[in-house]
Amino acid sequence: MKRRESASGLERNRARWGWVFVAPGLLFFSVFSFYPMLNAIWTSFFNKRLLSLKAPKFIGLQNYQRVLGSEEFWNSARATGVFTVGVFVPLFCLSLLFAALITQMRRGKRLAQAALYSPAVLSSVVAALIWLLMLDPRGLANQAVNWIAMTPGIDHQWLSSATMVQVSTMVVYVWKYLGYFTILFVTGIGKIPDSVNEAAMIDGAGPVRRFFSITLPLLRPTTVLVSVMILIQCMKTFSTQYLFTQSGAPLAPINVITLNIYNTAMRDLNIGRASVMSTILFLFMLALTWVQLRVSKGDEAES
Amino acid sequence: MRRGIKILDRVGGAAGAALVAAACAVVVVPLVFMIGSSFMPAMDIMQMPYRWIPETWKPANYLRALAGNDGQWMYLRNILNSVIVSTTIAITTVVLSSMVGYGLAKFRFRGRNAVFMAIMGTMMIPFETVMIPLYLIIVKAGLQNSYAGLILPFLMNAFGVFIMRQYLVTFPDEMLDAARIDGCSEPRIFRDMVFRNSGPAAATLAILSFRQQWDNLLWPLLVAQEERMKTIPAYIVKFTAEKHADEGAMMAVAVIASLPVFVLFFTLSKYFLGGSAVYQAGKE
Repeated sequence: MKRRESASGLERNRARWGWVFVAPGLLFFSVFSFYPMLNAIWTSFFNKRLLSLKAPKFIGLQNYQRVLGSEEFWNSARATGVFTVGVFVPLFCLSLLFAALITQMRRGKRLAQAALYSPAVLSSVVAALIWLLMLDPRGLANQAVNWIAMTPGIDHQWLSSATMVQVSTMVVYVWKYLGYFTILFVTGIGKIPDSVNEAAMIDGAGPVRRFFSITLPLLRPTTVLVSVMILIQCMKTFSTQYLFTQSGAPLAPINVITLNIYNTAMRDLNIGRASVMSTILFLFMLALTWVQLRVSKGDEAES
Repeated sequence: MRRGIKILDRVGGAAGAALVAAACAVVVVPLVFMIGSSFMPAMDIMQMPYRWIPETWKPANYLRALAGNDGQWMYLRNILNSVIVSTTIAITTVVLSSMVGYGLAKFRFRGRNAVFMAIMGTMMIPFETVMIPLYLIIVKAGLQNSYAGLILPFLMNAFGVFIMRQYLVTFPDEMLDAARIDGCSEPRIFRDMVFRNSGPAAATLAILSFRQQWDNLLWPLLVAQEERMKTIPAYIVKFTAEKHADEGAMMAVAVIASLPVFVLFFTLSKYFLGGSAVYQAGKE
């Protein structure tokens, strides 16, 4: 009897220690994640300005009306969308292609992965800066393209034309993250048992056929993960666009949503409207995460 | 038939390897450009055709990079800031995440699952969404232009809690119980047994957190508006946007900013790649 009592006392004591270890986390995430999140949503209904001494006024959905009715917001949505698609397609296809090719290689696998990965080591700002110089009218990009296309002396206006500056930001991103996602795919392909591939080979399936009917379907968990990661990463892009615009590139074509939030808050000092855009961005991310969870749950049910 | 496929495989493999080699070369070109140009006078960088090996060497670019266009040597101070901020965050992230991860992995208490889910839920909150409320908190606390202001929102993160918990779940319970019977206090068990033995996971997490902060532009842009409190990415933007900025010096700035991460990459690549494969979400 006495023993049992002390055992439950011990357990209670242990539970208390559990709370002690978890407490810093609870405190931290409450102050630096949950509170600001709720605050952003809350503020989106107020007429709040930075540096203003007046108490913010509740204005209902007016901020939403203003933002959703402004051309600038839709331009940002377009810029973010175009950038996301423009990065997603080449980045996904190329990293999958190179992962498939690298796993076939007999020698130099590690070297190839390290070489492709090397730009990912750089800071985003450094990556953007290198390209800023290469994309200069007198820079390497014009020389290389003109050499390949045999069109000497043409300036492709990488940083000044509205279309090209968008392409340029995409190039920077694809270049920087190609190796990172290639490695994720290489890891994914490595998990597919060799026996499946060998069986298909004995049945007479060529390399291309094997890739499409064996590797790709079995790689589904990785493809889902990579897709969502690229999408989330792209929607949050900031550094490249910021550096380019600060160095004189036109703002409108690459005024992505994060850049717009930053400018609305820090330049226009309109916290209320910035919060509206923050909330919309959050909802998008939430939807994406939800899709990812559903798809990966479906995978589990299947297997 | 089977032989035909073997030949097909071999030809395809060779072509594939050639394609991979070409891609690697293209990907590495900008890095070579960065390093080469950092030793060139600006005129040579924009020369047509570009010469990969500097004709005239100009190591003075590095002096210019560090001294800045105004000769205030602000880059040195900003590098120091980046080192202080990134290192502190790497340490606090590892310590706090392993504490919380340990609490979630090895103690039973009511509401444990709810706590775990709540912390994991914060991974869905993009930093860009909360940055303005965070900025207002920092302003209210009077911590603009201070290390505390730069560091506080990144003391730990949900992803860190996640990997430390996954790692510590496998820690043998018998060892913990034995230590308890020997009369060790819980904090001591954590410090001397659990934390000491979380090496690989802790190293991966430390490197990840360090790099994220080394790369962080958005937050320092908000809270550190004074020159002396800026970090490297903000300095780079400022240096580049200035009139008459020298292209060679820009590349020298870039090389200096990249050196520490490349050193980390080459010495600890095991944790680097391990981290990138595990890394799924987190604050930017």
